[in-house]
Amino acid sequence: MRRFSSLCLMTVATGLLVTVAGKPAAAGDEYAYDPVHSSISFKARHLDISWIHGRFNEAEGKFVIDREDPSKSTFELSIKVDSVDTANTARDEHLRQPDYFDAKQFPTIDFKSTSVKPIPGGYKVTGDFTMHGKTKQVTIELLGGKEAEFKGTKRVGFSTELAVKRSDFGFDKKNIGLIGDEALIFIDCEGARQ
Amino acid sequence: MPDPAAYLLSTLAAAAASAAIVLLIAGWRRAAGAARTNAACVLAVACGAAIGYLTMQTRPGWPPASARDRLLLIVLPAAVGVELVSNASKTPRWLAWFLRLALALSLARILLRGSVYVAGPEREWNAWQASLVLAGSGALLAAVWGLLGGLSQRAPGVSLPLALGETILCGGFAVMLAGYVGGGEAAMPLAAAIAGAALASPLAAERSPLPGMIGVGVVGLFSLLFIGRFFGRLSDGAAVVVLLAPLACWAAEIPRLRNGNPWIKGAVRLLLTALPLVFVLVAAKSRFDHEMGPLLGLP
Repeated sequence: MRRFSSLCLMTVATGLLVTVAGKPAAAGDEYAYDPVHSSISFKARHLDISWIHGRFNEAEGKFVIDREDPSKSTFELSIKVDSVDTANTARDEHLRQPDYFDAKQFPTIDFKSTSVKPIPGGYKVTGDFTMHGKTKQVTIELLGGKEAEFKGTKRVGFSTELAVKRSDFGFDKKNIGLIGDEALIFIDCEGARQ
Repeated sequence: MPDPAAYLLSTLAAAAASAAIVLLIAGWRRAAGAARTNAACVLAVACGAAIGYLTMQTRPGWPPASARDRLLLIVLPAAVGVELVSNASKTPRWLAWFLRLALALSLARILLRGSVYVAGPEREWNAWQASLVLAGSGALLAAVWGLLGGLSQRAPGVSLPLALGETILCGGFAVMLAGYVGGGEAAMPLAAAIAGAALASPLAAERSPLPGMIGVGVVGLFSLLFIGRFFGRLSDGAAVVVLLAPLACWAAEIPRLRNGNPWIKGAVRLLLTALPLVFVLVAAKSRFDHEMGPLLGLP
């Protein structure tokens, strides 16, 4: 009986050791995209004479920041196309149609990083950008990364700009004309540590 | 942006090509058999529409990611294949309707594939809603297909495919006025190809039954309205009225008209089909002017 008890004890101890040893070390701080303190806006040329400005009101995402080994950091963002807002209801409805974003078929615009390199003032992030059902690799300069603590929650903020050509993402070329092919996207986001 | 010149060119190209193909395939023998004429008309509609789409510079992507691309690359070729098999002289009647029913029931699923209605973590429909829409739309398509197919067997003639072409064209305009220009455009080459094949078929055969062409047209019409409703902003009412409009051709089967002058009968069919379509288009134009007018700088 005594021999059986020590065998059980050894088994439990070994199991605990294996569990602790097998658990990966915390890779970095994980942050959730904070929609209240973030903004995703865009502008595109109208008739090649002026700019139309708009924004996406809903998005979600998360990022993991590893200060010691930035290459292990990751960034993900998913923008809800349905939340497009150009301050004109009729135009917003039109932009949701299949001639433009096709929100019922392609409900989100997504970015998922594949590599991260530190640069002065931020990170150079390469990743897969998916819009209108097409995925292309893009590289953005994510500037910022300053941390602040507010009411016990650690926060971090970044800003970036991205130029995309709609024709690269399967938008119907016949609908490129009134509104220019290239759109500039501006992302200012804040993350709250989870 | 809509391009009327490109639309006109593609419509003419589709109609001319389909008419030429009917005459080429079926026309060298004056009394071509029903199966041969049928096959010729189905192939003519397929080729004519394809030429129309090429002329219009419609380039569906592969793999087809949008509903319109699936319509052009999967649904219409499937309808052509089903009608070619169904109208072959050796195909049993039960097999023909089994194939048509199978296509009718799978069509909504093909068009909705990957959309927010049936896919993704935040899908809009639960399993019951999805089943109801898929089965309901399949049953509706099968009913319209059966009624028009039956009419084409009972009272063959050029007016029925012409009425169907007229309906497809107006359905396309309704989809465009509802804000989905690319979806509505897809109607034009198809409608023109059906009209071209229909007008050429009497030159190739004495009595053209044409159910194959009707089948392709009904599937095309239903799909256009379906994508206009679920991906664009076409209203339920407009979609249903346009879909049912060609059934008005049955009204010409009342005894006094049925045995009367075929020209008068054909004119009645086209007129009765046009009436609900005009109503839908006027309402769609009014809504377009109200909603989109300020955006496009319309007076």
